[in-house]
Amino acid sequence: MTPILTVEGITAGYGRVTVLNDMSLEAGRHGNVGFFGPNGHGKTTLLRVVSGLLRPKAGRIVFDGEDITGKSARAIVGAGLIHVPQGNRIFPDLTIADCMSLGAYSARARPHEAENREKVVALFPKIAERWRQRVRTLSGGERQMVSIGTALMSHPRLLILDEPTLGLAPRIKDELCASVLDISKGGVPLIVVEQDIEFLLELCRQLYLINHGTVATEIKPGESIAHAEIMSMYFGQHQDH
Amino acid sequence: MGALAEILFGGLFQGSLYAMMAVGLALVWTTIGVFNFSHGVFMMLGAYFAWQLVEVGLHPAAAFPLAVLATAGVGWLLQAAVVRPLIGRANLVLVVVITTLAAGSLIENGVLEIWGPRSKQLPPLVDGNTMIGSIGVSLHQIAIIVVTPLILGALWMFLTRTRLGLALRAVAQNEDASQLVGLNVTALYGLAFAIAAGLACLAGIFMGGYRFMSPVMGADPLLKALIVVVFGGISSISGPIFAAYLIGFFEAACSYYFGLYWTPALLFAVLILTLMVRPEGIFSSRGRGLA
Ligand SMILES: Nc1ncnc2c1ncn2[C@@H]1O[C@H](COP(=O)(O)OP(=O)(O)OP(=O)(O)O)[C@@H](O)[C@H]1O
Ligand SMILES: [Mg+2]
Repeated sequence: MTPILTVEGITAGYGRVTVLNDMSLEAGRHGNVGFFGPNGHGKTTLLRVVSGLLRPKAGRIVFDGEDITGKSARAIVGAGLIHVPQGNRIFPDLTIADCMSLGAYSARARPHEAENREKVVALFPKIAERWRQRVRTLSGGERQMVSIGTALMSHPRLLILDEPTLGLAPRIKDELCASVLDISKGGVPLIVVEQDIEFLLELCRQLYLINHGTVATEIKPGESIAHAEIMSMYFGQHQDH
Repeated sequence: MGALAEILFGGLFQGSLYAMMAVGLALVWTTIGVFNFSHGVFMMLGAYFAWQLVEVGLHPAAAFPLAVLATAGVGWLLQAAVVRPLIGRANLVLVVVITTLAAGSLIENGVLEIWGPRSKQLPPLVDGNTMIGSIGVSLHQIAIIVVTPLILGALWMFLTRTRLGLALRAVAQNEDASQLVGLNVTALYGLAFAIAAGLACLAGIFMGGYRFMSPVMGADPLLKALIVVVFGGISSISGPIFAAYLIGFFEAACSYYFGLYWTPALLFAVLILTLMVRPEGIFSSRGRGLA
């Protein structure tokens, strides 16, 4: 399989601060990909660069054979790369129904609106019960479901989730993890940032440890690595600065 | 009975003009998060466009919509010139106050150059006068009272019932999330400005039909619109609409009972009191968001 996403030598940051430093990686050759690593080391920044929210200072991003470096977020959504941002703030004063219509806004997604809505309803029956409720009145878990549901309405060819289970209670978290696994089984390739390594190991065959704005370690499929080893890598990296 | 009719009529009439102006200001604030200080200039420019089109022989029924479109176009351009390039700056609100003020004063002087200082007048929407009870009113005023709610209602329907209106409301709430569903944020900014300018043009046409026009005719309505949005809460467009009518009635009652002279002072007293009790405005909830 050819990689669906290639990141080549990306350097990016905010103002004069550089966060990502000559980062390169590949995703999709071996199914889903997971990113993990200590807080504040550039995972979200990388996703923002990939989806066109942040312009890189150097480097190249190729999505499914097409160079998307420097393209607008709108064009990238149009190509089918859909990003669910961290923190599920979405549209606080819109209803769930409104969010779903917005998800289907792009010309690519419009013809599939009805079919995708059915998928979302089947996947998240909880939010289907609250179709006319405003997002700000939903629980954190429900808001995350709306975020992911909105992304599914965009008819993704690649779905990127930034810490989908952040701050959720264990029961809701398990439910959400199961839904993400369902999405993957439905045939949508995923890139997922998570702190929960167990979940990442279940979902992905390829993992990247991101540290200091670059790839510290890649775990390829087959290189089955023990949980304890990852944890020591994780904290080992953390201690040496 | 006479007093009530006079206050009711005066309030509805002034309230309509204020609502027409304030809604555009609120639309731009909620979508882009800036105050457009050239909003009064849009009103004036719109009235002059309408006057020019009538002057060259167009029927008002054609001239007025054309003027609205032309003013909307100017609104779009002005946004592209002095607002869009600044988006993302930390002190955006302040900088845009300055750039829109500057652009507005340029346009004002341009109008003075082109059309001269002599006052002009537009034909009324409807010719003639009538009596309501014991007070004489012009049909133009009645037309304004009837047309304004229809236009504001249409705007409301657009914002709440169409996908494009939904997109405008979405941008008002979360720009990043809007980009991530593929909305064209810069075009939506332009659209918000264009709609606001078009509505200001309508207010200018209303005003030019019963008062003399001058290049500075927009200054006072801008101030009033600012008061209205501060009073009603700037985080929605329904708040300013209600506030516009409320202030219209308040002014009508004040000038009936205390005289025109005391009205501005009383209005500001009420405004200050309101802001002490409810800093976010009387009809507002916290946070930005249209409708
Ligand atoms: N808008 C911004 N402006 C300036 N600096 C920022 C901005 N967003 C993030 N940063 C900085 O960039 C660095 C990387 O942040 P980023 O959000 O990419 O980390 P992360 O790996 O996603 O962390 P977490 O696991 O906590 O989500 C941090 O030091 C952060 O303070
Ligand atoms: Mg992050």
